[in-house]
Amino acid sequence: MSFNDAAEVRQYLGGVFEAAFADPEIAPQLQGTGIVLKTVYTDPAAVVVIDTAAGTVELGDASTPSTATMTMTADTGNAYWQGKVNLPLAMAKSRIKVEGNVASLLKLAPLGKKLYPRYIATLQADGRDDLLV
Amino acid sequence: MSILVSPPRAYDPLSVSHLDFWAATAEEREKTFRQLREQRPVSWHPPLEGALMPPENEGVWVVTSHALIGEVSKHPEIYCSGRGFQFEEVPDDFLQAAGSFLGMDAPRHPALRKLVSSAFTPKRVALIHEQIKAQAATIVDGLLAAGEGDFVEVVSKRLPMWTIYEMMGLDESRRDEAAHHADGMVSWADEDVAAGREPGEVLSDALVTLLTMGMELAEERRAHPCADLMTALVQAEVDGERLTDEEIGSFFVLLSVAGNDTTRNTISLTAKAFQDHPDQRDLLMADFDGRIATAIEEFVRYVSPVMTFRRTATRDTVLGGQEIREGEWVAMIYSSGNRDASVFTDPDRFDITRSPNPHVGFGGGGPHFCMGNFVAKMQLREIFDQLLHRAPGLRLGEPAYLTGNFVRAVKSLPFTVR
Repeated sequence: MSFNDAAEVRQYLGGVFEAAFADPEIAPQLQGTGIVLKTVYTDPAAVVVIDTAAGTVELGDASTPSTATMTMTADTGNAYWQGKVNLPLAMAKSRIKVEGNVASLLKLAPLGKKLYPRYIATLQADGRDDLLV
Repeated sequence: MSILVSPPRAYDPLSVSHLDFWAATAEEREKTFRQLREQRPVSWHPPLEGALMPPENEGVWVVTSHALIGEVSKHPEIYCSGRGFQFEEVPDDFLQAAGSFLGMDAPRHPALRKLVSSAFTPKRVALIHEQIKAQAATIVDGLLAAGEGDFVEVVSKRLPMWTIYEMMGLDESRRDEAAHHADGMVSWADEDVAAGREPGEVLSDALVTLLTMGMELAEERRAHPCADLMTALVQAEVDGERLTDEEIGSFFVLLSVAGNDTTRNTISLTAKAFQDHPDQRDLLMADFDGRIATAIEEFVRYVSPVMTFRRTATRDTVLGGQEIREGEWVAMIYSSGNRDASVFTDPDRFDITRSPNPHVGFGGGGPHFCMGNFVAKMQLREIFDQLLHRAPGLRLGEPAYLTGNFVRAVKSLPFTVR
């Protein structure tokens, strides 16, 4: 199964970062990177912009400025946040396209790992077993 | 969760964690390693100063003696590779994609290694040797014709690149690009290589490009088989199992790195060692065929091209009297093990007749022992056969080294040949 609409993409894939900003351990590290990450999803289409310094997660559009942009299907995003997608292999197979400061994404990598189990727990708590990979 | 309740340990007063330490010469580093080896062969250090991402661990154990490097290497059930093999922090994704079976443990490690090994039939190995012979001769033709230049560009870099990519079946037009990215895989910390880019970008570009090349080549060979290793890999089957394109892509990256930089630097630094120790050169030339096999082991020991590999403790254990906790990093310093005076008499001496020579240049034994060591030995035999017999007037200047904690790499080495 997939996300039904942009609002769901925003709720779940954006929600990962909201959970991170609410975490006293992860939040300062995330804010310390100072990255503005634009995640461009397709099927369904949604642009979710994460401003780590400001601690905000907003719906944006193609013109929203960012430090780095990651483009992928919402399904790939869903699998990614469950720790099921290898980023370099996905980039090599063009499943994920990265533009801008790739190095900044590496700085997010250790934080991402901590967020996988929470994302899975959120899906389970909401009864969205259909989204579990 | 013993880590949370145990008090923090004191770091060793000798530092190996700063980039400055890895920017110094091997001789400088050896002064530190010698002290550690002789007094504290297992020592606790701060996380390595890395360029890619902030360290998550509190520190790293550094193992400097020959015996303890062997102990770690031969006990993969205690010191695993599946939780990373680099001395500094690198994202897990990158390690998995770049490491192939290097970053795996049993049962997947032996299964995958067996699959890859099955592609190296005796007939294929003989073909590879013939290719290397021809490559070495052509490269020394080029050296003699050039008269002067950078030995790394003209000789050391060319042979491994040519061997690996001809063996794989990569089109000639793509070999320079592949070799360039193979460099990026180990040299992101070096300012010259990065040329203003962030280290993470260098690594990411290199990795993604090599993965793409490997997967594309695998796809091509599935559709149009040729007489090369890639075709053998896509066709390889052990116990009904085949390699996926991702696994082949990842192996292509491993081969590009493991097969490129190791032999390259051994060639450069052995050539320099022969210039600095002409008696050893004369000794070898007096009976090349009789002495070269023993001499090659000394080339690898003396140069120690791969300086470090890391494991992770799978349980609480004791190593060299130190209590190691589950999850802690354990780094082996091969370049230190290869200078261990309790194993090697006069270890700083370049002695091509040294025998036995139980160096750890190809690893300290165990399941991760260098699989390509036979290719490296063929390359060293053939290139030094050519160089020593055909270019006696070769003169080398001083090598410029790369900064990094993984491979002891020579960036450039000026030469003239009369």
